[in-house]
Amino acid sequence: MHNAKCTCWNCPAINLAGKVDFRACGQAGAQFDKKADDSQETHIMAECKRRPDLGLFDPMSITFEECPEWQKTPYGYLLKNMRVMILGVDGYLGWTLALWLGRLGCQVSGVDNYNRRNWVKERGAHTVIPISRMSERLHAAKEVLGVNINFREIDIYEERDKLKEFIDEIKPEAIVHYGECPSAPFSMIDVEHAIDVQRNNVLGTLGLLFTMRDIVPESSLLKLGTMGEYGTPLTGRPLFEGMFPADAVLHWDNREWSLGGELTPRDPVSFYHVSKVQDTFNCYEASKYWWLRSYDIMQGVIFGVHTEEVSADPRLRTRLDIDEWFGTIINRFVAQAVLDIPLTLYGAGQQIRGFIALRDAMECMTRLLASPPEPGQYAVVNQISGVKSLRQLAYIVAKVGRKHFNLPVQIQRIENPRVEADIHPFEALYEKLPKQYGFEPKVDIEEEVRRMFELLMKPEIRARIEEKKHVIIPKTWWSGVKREAQRIELINLEKEIKEDEERAKIFMGKK
Amino acid sequence: MSKKRIIFIGLDGVPFGLLKDLAQKGVMPNTKKVIEQGCFRKMFSSVPEISSVAWSSIITGKNPAEHGIFGFTDLIPNSYSMRFPNFSNLKAEPFWNLIEGPSVILNVPSTYPVKPMNGVHISGFVSIDFKRSVYPLELIPVLQEKDYRLDVNSEYAHKSFDLFLSDLNKTLEARMDAAMYLWNKYAWQVFMLVFTGTDRLMHFLWNAYEDEKHTYHDSFIGHFRKVDEAIGEISQKMRDEDTLIMLSDHGFERLDKDVYINHILKENGFLSFQDNTAHLKNISGDTKAFALDPARIYINQKEKYPRGRVSVNDREKIITDLIDLFQSLTLDNKKLIRKIFRKEDVYHGQFLDVAPDLILLGEEGFNLKGNIKAQRVADRSIFSGKHTLDTAFLAVSGSFEKGVVPEAPCVYDIWGLIREGLEDKKAKK
Repeated sequence: MHNAKCTCWNCPAINLAGKVDFRACGQAGAQFDKKADDSQETHIMAECKRRPDLGLFDPMSITFEECPEWQKTPYGYLLKNMRVMILGVDGYLGWTLALWLGRLGCQVSGVDNYNRRNWVKERGAHTVIPISRMSERLHAAKEVLGVNINFREIDIYEERDKLKEFIDEIKPEAIVHYGECPSAPFSMIDVEHAIDVQRNNVLGTLGLLFTMRDIVPESSLLKLGTMGEYGTPLTGRPLFEGMFPADAVLHWDNREWSLGGELTPRDPVSFYHVSKVQDTFNCYEASKYWWLRSYDIMQGVIFGVHTEEVSADPRLRTRLDIDEWFGTIINRFVAQAVLDIPLTLYGAGQQIRGFIALRDAMECMTRLLASPPEPGQYAVVNQISGVKSLRQLAYIVAKVGRKHFNLPVQIQRIENPRVEADIHPFEALYEKLPKQYGFEPKVDIEEEVRRMFELLMKPEIRARIEEKKHVIIPKTWWSGVKREAQRIELINLEKEIKEDEERAKIFMGKK
Repeated sequence: MSKKRIIFIGLDGVPFGLLKDLAQKGVMPNTKKVIEQGCFRKMFSSVPEISSVAWSSIITGKNPAEHGIFGFTDLIPNSYSMRFPNFSNLKAEPFWNLIEGPSVILNVPSTYPVKPMNGVHISGFVSIDFKRSVYPLELIPVLQEKDYRLDVNSEYAHKSFDLFLSDLNKTLEARMDAAMYLWNKYAWQVFMLVFTGTDRLMHFLWNAYEDEKHTYHDSFIGHFRKVDEAIGEISQKMRDEDTLIMLSDHGFERLDKDVYINHILKENGFLSFQDNTAHLKNISGDTKAFALDPARIYINQKEKYPRGRVSVNDREKIITDLIDLFQSLTLDNKKLIRKIFRKEDVYHGQFLDVAPDLILLGEEGFNLKGNIKAQRVADRSIFSGKHTLDTAFLAVSGSFEKGVVPEAPCVYDIWGLIREGLEDKKAKK
């Protein structure tokens, strides 16, 4: 178990009661300005909220493996009946995680303001997999899976007091923050939308950090970032996991400096990505100032429709968006393939991205929940299970569609409405989840794409895609222009695949 | 309820000799009156001679194996996990729960977190959260207004003695301000106030006391002058029928070197660690004995600890080996250990099983420590004073019978004095 040796120091069920210096007869310190020092004469005292009989104790001395409150699961030791609050619980990831964690025995609470439903509606689109009203979803979760989700409709920015009350009531031991606008094009529509995204994401999260400080400072925050924060540096510099490794060195002017532990450069590619970068700094600083514990989860392109829980009943399905604003690329490709619309690559289509399947993302989140950061620690993981060019992803979708569903899938290049590098090197590191948290990807991309085809080709879903196919092609340009991107070319698939393999060798670095 | 009242003043760590010296030199004239009017004796502290154990013994009249407090740190049973016992872990009743009348209990060490009681209770060190240090809670705004501090900030001493001394005196003033407020505001039968700044001061600046040319000698004396003024203020308010008990919980003397018991155990093959990482939780299955602060030695017994090695039958052999080892140790050509106590000789009660097997007392100047990460036998530090076992003091004056004070008192006798002094029927039961 990856977290067997973690101690109460990492556990959200403790109160950090104080620091005591025993060099002069037990001097209580007011500030947690450091961990117990090496001399072992300054100790941090903890109290366990679950085992008050322990009294005040050294939080470094009891491991998860030894503590009866931490129980074995396939994803590591997990705090028994862990109270997890999911912000954005009505969304694609939030709903899926709520059911997943509920099945694992967590006490799940959730918050949403239905922004996502409204934003998708604003684009004239809908989720192609139908989802019902929240009350019905909650009822189905209870009926089918026996999972109770304590839901509250709250806007985390506009209704900070309500959120504070709910957090105070639940006292979550972890907060998963999926409650942000996840769309780059949405943030580039116009000034109103750009401001909306900044307000919702940056200010909403900032308010949450203050609330955590005041009410649940021991709780761990798992906040969704994005691999897009790093951008795609043309130098090919590796994309480390948030911070430079200990041995990174800056050479300049015949001098050198260690970069170890510093935040790596961010190079966001939309105002949405900028909001995520600002969140990064806010979480980083809040962790430093107030001893909060946070994970910044740099997730790659997410795709898929399946976990055991969401597939258990049609009423439990999570949403799936395919429109230009909210459709992620693989999900959108499959929808296009189902309708015989050539899959759309923007620009050269040689953008390289990390990706991860929905089910694997849920497992990663669980492993991180099971291994909370230390007090004051801002930790970052690159949550991806592989790296491919968008062309390669399109080829996979095309291959599966042709082979298993006899669909004449084609691929087209269209004008790129974004300002981004569409031919670039890419070396993303994603070693922490496998090495530190025991994660091994379980989902084969072709298998998941096949499963998506199966679901999306069901007549009632296909009809819903057909109804909204006009919102797939992008009209939102970074320049502010509003016009449909035009086709540049249809791609000769076989020839391109061969060429792309050669390109990949050059551009995708060691990884 | 008896009309007799007891005023109980604690001077944490103040040794008999220092008090006598400062009284005679005119630094502490009010104290001089107290010790001349009644009886003034050297007193034995608890074993080990530290505040948490000694004050727990003073307020309960019990020995550690009866009240369960053996140090500032202890182990969670059947583990190597360290816990920090506090008032919630005290297994004997403090006197204020056993007498008829109300008490005001101010700044008694190791009485955090406070519990509801008949009167007022503001805990002393180690107090962490202000809200859990004050009973009744309604006193919090009053205390805050008086700038009351639970403890002096010793961190200052590591930065600047000037800052430390200023904080020490401010803490004392605020404490006295609060004490006088409580004295007047409440009807009480026992008023107990402990001055703890004395302990902090002597830890850091004992050398300033001994050396009249030391930069901080006058500051050291100045603090004791303030303590004496406080004693004078209290004495003046006493009624004829009141009894004053003044005492310290342990004594103090010069500290030359810190001596690390676990390092000695390691060097002599009694202690080893898994992965060679020195931490209590990494104690290896080869370990025969380990120590907790200050010098409590525990035999790593089978069925008592997760990786216990020593069988019940072998325990005596290990103890004998340890006694031989520690009796023979010298440092700087001086004997290191003055006395070795077996638990059976100094403790009795239901918690004898969890008591340390041996407790060491260092020779003059040697401050014994349980630091498990120490890399050498001995070291110097910022501290210049250390506790002593046999030089605490007890002074009793006012309305009481002198015959009730033992000739050679120890901290366990105080509860008996309170009981006698109050002529309290409930307590006498």
